Amino acid sequence: MNDIGEFTLLVALATALYGCVAYIMSARGNRIDLYLSADKTPFIVWACVMISSICLWKAFLTDDFSLQYVWAYSNRELDTFYKVASFWGGQKGSLLFWTLLLTTYMLVVYFQNRNKNLRVVPYAMAVMLVIVVFFLFLVNFSTNPFERIPLPPEDGRGLNPLLQNYWMVIHPPTLYLGYVGFTVPFAFAVAALISKDLDDGWIRMTRKWTLISWFFLCMGNLFGASWAYVELGWGGYWAWDPVENAAFMPLLIATAFLHSVMIQEKKDMMKVWNMSLILLTFAMTIFGTFITRSGLIQSVHTFDEATLGYYFLAFLFVIIAACTALIIARLPLLKSANELDSFLSRESSFLFNNLVLLGIAFATFWGTIFPIISEAVRGVKITVGPPFYNQVNVPIGLALLALIGIGPVIAWRRATFSNLKKNFLKPVLAGIVAAAAMFPVIPLGNRAEIYTYVTFILCVFVLTSILTEFYKGTVSRMGLKDESAVGALATMTWRNKRRYGGYIVHIGVVLIFAGIAGSQAYGTHTEKHLQLGDSFEIRGYTIKYEKLIAVEATSIKTRIIAQLAVERDGKRYWTGHPEKEFYKGQNQPVSEVDVLSTWKEDLYMILADFGEDESATIKVYVNPMVSWMWTGGWVIAFGTMISMWPDRLEQRRRLDRVRRQEQLFPTPAQE
Amino acid sequence: MKQKKIRFLVGSLLIVGAIGYLITMGISNTSTYFFTVDELMSQNVSYTGSGLKVKGNVVNGSIERDPNDYLNVKFSIEENNASLKVAYQGVTPDMFLDGGEVVVEGTLGKDGVFHANTLLTSCPSKYEAEKEDGKMHPGALTDKYQEPGLNKAEALPKTTI
Repeated sequence: MNDIGEFTLLVALATALYGCVAYIMSARGNRIDLYLSADKTPFIVWACVMISSICLWKAFLTDDFSLQYVWAYSNRELDTFYKVASFWGGQKGSLLFWTLLLTTYMLVVYFQNRNKNLRVVPYAMAVMLVIVVFFLFLVNFSTNPFERIPLPPEDGRGLNPLLQNYWMVIHPPTLYLGYVGFTVPFAFAVAALISKDLDDGWIRMTRKWTLISWFFLCMGNLFGASWAYVELGWGGYWAWDPVENAAFMPLLIATAFLHSVMIQEKKDMMKVWNMSLILLTFAMTIFGTFITRSGLIQSVHTFDEATLGYYFLAFLFVIIAACTALIIARLPLLKSANELDSFLSRESSFLFNNLVLLGIAFATFWGTIFPIISEAVRGVKITVGPPFYNQVNVPIGLALLALIGIGPVIAWRRATFSNLKKNFLKPVLAGIVAAAAMFPVIPLGNRAEIYTYVTFILCVFVLTSILTEFYKGTVSRMGLKDESAVGALATMTWRNKRRYGGYIVHIGVVLIFAGIAGSQAYGTHTEKHLQLGDSFEIRGYTIKYEKLIAVEATSIKTRIIAQLAVERDGKRYWTGHPEKEFYKGQNQPVSEVDVLSTWKEDLYMILADFGEDESATIKVYVNPMVSWMWTGGWVIAFGTMISMWPDRLEQRRRLDRVRRQEQLFPTPAQE
Repeated sequence: MKQKKIRFLVGSLLIVGAIGYLITMGISNTSTYFFTVDELMSQNVSYTGSGLKVKGNVVNGSIERDPNDYLNVKFSIEENNASLKVAYQGVTPDMFLDGGEVVVEGTLGKDGVFHANTLLTSCPSKYEAEKEDGKMHPGALTDKYQEPGLNKAEALPKTTI
């Protein structure tokens, strides 16, 4: 079985190599015979990688410890659930998993576009195959998951207990689906550059792909935050760790890309910009992988295998150099058909949104690589931590938040004063009212609290402006069609999925902003060393340490649980059970926190330490509004679903628009 | 037309400039020097008082807890024969053990004691161990099963839920 897995990986590499050469030659030489032969490779490559992955999964499920990778990440007593997830628990498996996702995406693209767009698609397939070749090269020759141990040990080392959490099964695949997904729009962009088909065709073909990847990346980030929150037990959800930044930067650039392609679709502008953005997004996914795999930057989850990182770095340079050269070569063909008219217009608000998003991405990038740069330039390693990111990104983030409220309602081309008054009077008034209403009740003692105050005001402003849009649409539809309010709202959203789906995503983003602001400024925490029966107070909660329970959960896991009674206004309100788990075969215990989550605040308890005299050290956090972020995540998911839903009307509208444009500016028909 | 372009260029430059300003200010206000213990000891310039991050391994048996205040911890870290005394107030992470690699963040006092306000233990052992895999053959692993933590857990009476 293991031999099969190893062999199919080699076959996949050879086939992928052949495939990309054949695709390119067939497209350049117009050779249909070669094309037909090349067109078989995506399926073969996918099948080979799939077989290989099944072999690895089977090794995990059958406890085949003759594989070094299985030995290192599993043991006999691991839950089947986690045995499946151990596949991506370490370096080697995660690269194979990446390859599997990449080839699966490639296969879907292949079926979607079979015998269509013969000028562009072969090049796109070739580009994807080149990337597949890179990963197959790695899993074959550098990090082969089928590496054998000559004398198989009796039992494996087991999966790190920190990873034994259901998020382990959800978070990495989600993030990878996002990371890998951007390969598709990137491949089509490069294909458009090579084939000189530089209208918005590649954007339309890959819009769904971009959205799906963006969605997974966004969810992956949020899942990572909640994993850190419930599992790592430090009371926070985001630490600006290089690995987090690595997932955050592509998300920011992809968001900029999602917005600016609208300008290209509607106004035929910003072509070079969009090309650069998608190239940058893809480069960031590779850069992120480089950071996590090289151990070059001190982080909490480095994989510590230096050489592998440099393969990624080399690959990154090749991609950037090749794509920059390609864009420069095609510059004359990428001229914009239109120009920006006014600062006060939808177009320029998109431009500013892009600049701001890239600003946050750049600040994050700079902070992440600053230790390397300072060491190279000054010989001293200088690091920046969360204070840096907060100081820089919070003001820029607030500008972004304001733009979310402005962008969707400001007029296209040029906003007049009456237009501004019509669209912004209500949101601005709502913001002012909110500011006045909150002023007496909100603490404004330090910078964080003032920022939070501003954030809340902006949130009200943005929400009002979005809800007004919904309201206006609904009312006008009710007037026209004689429908009920709910019916009109639903039909209107359904008829304009992209637009209103986007607004719903914006509402989710606003909730996330509010949640971050609230939890960052108004949180509090305390640590207490308690004897049985001791109690203390925090934010109106009285917490009493009642008992310490030791449970032998399984033969390898011992749980030490502290029982804490939480009282509020003299009444028992909740019982918290933070615990520590000790695993056989692991030299550190794992803290399991207990959280009481309400929309107002989270009460978050950690059992930090305990003594043989049954004393315990308890750390308690009160984190306001954290649940708003998770709610915002679900709202984003819902909005993305709506705007991704296939829309026939959208196509008709586009054709109408194209036809109108062709009547105005007759162009020779294509194909 | 030309004028419009210039205006947009100026507008964009203003935004870029503002972001650049924020970044430079952020760096100069919040940066901390990162040293290993031996690097810090061999510096000619004194870093007393400025923000520092220091990496080293906890000296075996050096962890002392104040009997009256459990959260008051003193220990030493070492790297390449240089060592540094550290004082820390707070809950120590799960992986804070003798010989473990830690990163402390704080300031160096005039008395030569490092006052840490954060204490980070390096990556989970699994990833650490991954590094050794290439060189060390997985066979003799028995000592890995004797953890200090488990003994403490076993000292408590067991119940079942």
